Amino acid sequence: MMSRIELVRQDAEAVVANRTHLLSSLRNSHIFITGGTGFLGTWLLELLSVLNAKHNFNIQASVLSRSALQFAEKYKHLGSRPEFRFINGDIRYLTEVPRATNYIIHAAALTDRRLFASNPTLVGEVNAVGAMRLLRAADLLDDLKQIVLVSSGLVAGPQALNVERIDENYTSGIPCNTANAIYPESKRFAESMATSFVSESKLPLVIVRPFAFLGPYQSLELPWAITDFIRDSLAGRPIKIMGDGSTVRSLMYASDYAFWTLAALSRGTPREVYNIGSPEGIHLLALAKLITQHFSPLPEILTKVGQSGHDATRLVPNIAKAQRDLGVQVTVSLSDAIQNTITWHKTAASS
Amino acid sequence: MQTQQIIVTDPTLRDGSHACSHQITAEQIRRYATAAEAAKVDYVEVGHGNGLGASSLQVGFSLIPEREMLEIARSCLKTSGLSVHVMPGFATAKREIAQALEIGVDLFRVGSHCTEADLTQRHISYVRNAGKEAWGILMMIHMASKEMLLEESKKMQSYGAQGIVLMDSAGASFPQDVTEKIGLLTQRLDVPVGFHAHDNLGLSIANSLAALQAGARIVDGTARGFGAGAGNAPLELLIAVMQRQGYKFNADLYKVLDAAELASQLFAENLPNSNSVTIVSGLAGVFSGFAKPVQRAAKQLGVDPRDVFFELGRRKVVGGQEDLILEVASELARPKGQIHSPKP
Amino acid sequence: MKADQLGVPVSSKSIQGIVDRKAEIDLVFDATSAEDHFRHAKVFAELGMLAIDLTPARVGKMCVPAVNLEDCLATGNVNMVSCGGQASIPIAFAIAQANPKIDYIETVSSIASRSAGPATRINLDEYLDTTEEGIASFSRCEHAKAILNLNPAQPCVHMQTTILAGIKNPDVEKTRAAVATMVKKLQEYVPGYQMILAPMVENNRLAVMVRVEGRGDYLPTYAGNLDIINCAAIAMAEAYARKMGETGRKETR
Repeated sequence: MMSRIELVRQDAEAVVANRTHLLSSLRNSHIFITGGTGFLGTWLLELLSVLNAKHNFNIQASVLSRSALQFAEKYKHLGSRPEFRFINGDIRYLTEVPRATNYIIHAAALTDRRLFASNPTLVGEVNAVGAMRLLRAADLLDDLKQIVLVSSGLVAGPQALNVERIDENYTSGIPCNTANAIYPESKRFAESMATSFVSESKLPLVIVRPFAFLGPYQSLELPWAITDFIRDSLAGRPIKIMGDGSTVRSLMYASDYAFWTLAALSRGTPREVYNIGSPEGIHLLALAKLITQHFSPLPEILTKVGQSGHDATRLVPNIAKAQRDLGVQVTVSLSDAIQNTITWHKTAASS
Repeated sequence: MQTQQIIVTDPTLRDGSHACSHQITAEQIRRYATAAEAAKVDYVEVGHGNGLGASSLQVGFSLIPEREMLEIARSCLKTSGLSVHVMPGFATAKREIAQALEIGVDLFRVGSHCTEADLTQRHISYVRNAGKEAWGILMMIHMASKEMLLEESKKMQSYGAQGIVLMDSAGASFPQDVTEKIGLLTQRLDVPVGFHAHDNLGLSIANSLAALQAGARIVDGTARGFGAGAGNAPLELLIAVMQRQGYKFNADLYKVLDAAELASQLFAENLPNSNSVTIVSGLAGVFSGFAKPVQRAAKQLGVDPRDVFFELGRRKVVGGQEDLILEVASELARPKGQIHSPKP
Repeated sequence: MKADQLGVPVSSKSIQGIVDRKAEIDLVFDATSAEDHFRHAKVFAELGMLAIDLTPARVGKMCVPAVNLEDCLATGNVNMVSCGGQASIPIAFAIAQANPKIDYIETVSSIASRSAGPATRINLDEYLDTTEEGIASFSRCEHAKAILNLNPAQPCVHMQTTILAGIKNPDVEKTRAAVATMVKKLQEYVPGYQMILAPMVENNRLAVMVRVEGRGDYLPTYAGNLDIINCAAIAMAEAYARKMGETGRKETR
């Protein structure tokens, strides 16, 4: 049986294989990654490891996060790689990035929905001020080729139920009368700030708007539908769905997410915005069934456990622009993504 | 039949300054401005090739002082407006613009390199506050994407520019580029959009027509193409083509043809023509006004002017950086590895 | 924020922050704006602090360390002219040393677009005025002109300055020697300063070109324009500190 490290490595190698030409401008460069120890950041490092080890990309990466050194200690297969440098720091107080930096991925943000409720002011500060600090520091670089600002699919505002997929121009407005609004609002502010830097300083910058994802390294503590379902199935508990299961989401596998982000870094047209996610919407009930089939006995699925007024929502991106401009494809199907994720979670962390 | 009225701007006495190393005479200004007035072009632009305050060792001294040029032109123009070109970095508001206002210039075309529109804020505001017309000019437009040109034009529009003109200063654009760039601006700006062509790749009329078809309402042309590099879109051809295409404009075809005949005599020794240097200049995407100084420096230092152009293109020089010609030519003249010490 | 991280006291109280710490401060670099410096200059004078003015206010004597550092030590307020002035004035001065009369002098600087922030852009006219005044007075030539170009090329270009002079029968050999000496003197406080075109005559003009590469300590290396005026200000400050060390603190005033 493969270890967790080997499972992830296999996925990273698969997504990169035969597609390295889409990332060729990253060869021999120095990449600075903020929030490099989160879900996306970890996967980016996994892909960069493969690009260096198997494809001679010769990329150096500096990783900034509040717990970078602890991360390097915990994930030694990444932490011990000589081409990665780990820097502990708070993005809100960033003044400089390494001078050799050619590319930046700004992924540092607070994305935990529980925090939106318990500490929304911190969410706003980290996401908005953090982006501003990063952009100011980036403006001091000698040879900056591209910045990817990792935004959120939520900046478009709630998706109308009768719209099948939302493209980069879709907007419905973000209500700002609840504390929960701070997350999309802070991301939207970060986008506005980035656009201002592009206008004022001509920073080469592209924005990516990620939607929903799953895969190894994703914390099951997060109260999202997918993580809830997997966590409860693993624990042998029934899966609970608030409404009738008609809420629609789409999920992309982590390796594709990381690859698309790198492709945007390498090939994105400055000042453009790209959706990243799966275009295949799925009802939560169907998603729950896809998950439970990997377990026996089959976990029970309970619907309408919430208030009767719980409204169905829909969030599915149109990704035609990224496919066309970046030359990327979805390479991992939803069923494979679920299979891989569950296998990883079932594999003991130590193995 | 096209319904929108097209504004015709004639910078013969400004862009032509480059063609004769800035040696336009008082007599030439008097006679050509009179002919342009008779031809009913909407604006006659006069001055040094790089605009107000640009008479210098860097670009070349004008034969006669700026004040005199403008005063002569002013005295010849009644229905046609008097226009000047202004590049911040050469001209200052309180000195050159103030003087031009005092002489009675009607239109100030305030320009910058196509990515540097924020340099024009002060100058555009100054003109508008004085109650005169100001347009924003983006030069060397082959060096920016249509999105960037839109953003820069919007900056100028927000400063108060009442028109935006894209200048293909290197004559490096193709009709498809012009269609896309002008098309986007005409859709997204409130003010009229214009186009100024150079003929380095033989496309000045084709590009001007593409601009008009994409909705441009301002077009620049010079008599017999008297302008930098391989020259501009010849005004007489432009008016002929526009007439045949059914555009509405004030200019009188016969009188424009007469003005072109006059220009043939007045500027006979310096009329631009297509040659290996102007073609290479277009290919390299270098400011057309560099043609004469490049030829001069290349001759003195014994290097191929075409090599100089390609090297300048590689360095992405912009209008105003004429001093780099000397550096590049000297560098090319120096055998590899030798300490630099040119003959005085 | 960077200063704070380095342990340098910071204040958000503008000029009052200086007044509050007056006992600790002998010298102030004022990098605000010309308008602000007119107000600040009076305060610094009252407090007996040397003001090194990096704005175009020109309240005090124009200071170009390679040329007139010693003269400036006697005054309480010095103006650092402009980046283009710091790059070109020493050369203009050297040309004036080697030739009896300069009829006309011009300085043309090209800087990377990204090194010119909104304040620089909006104050372009003041930059031209200040630089022209500086180059005219140091070269003793009435007719002077300054030109500034912004170049957006990527990777960013280094600051480059050309000095062009109209001189009847220029003594090129003597000029070369004078310029070479001056360049060495400048390099003592601006390490990235180099001559890229030795004095030569072309088309009836004497031309010299220099390039300023930034040190890349905090500002990017392409921001040589910002570095040179900072380096000049520091050279002035160090000279002042040396003098205070010799003569005792504030004794000169």
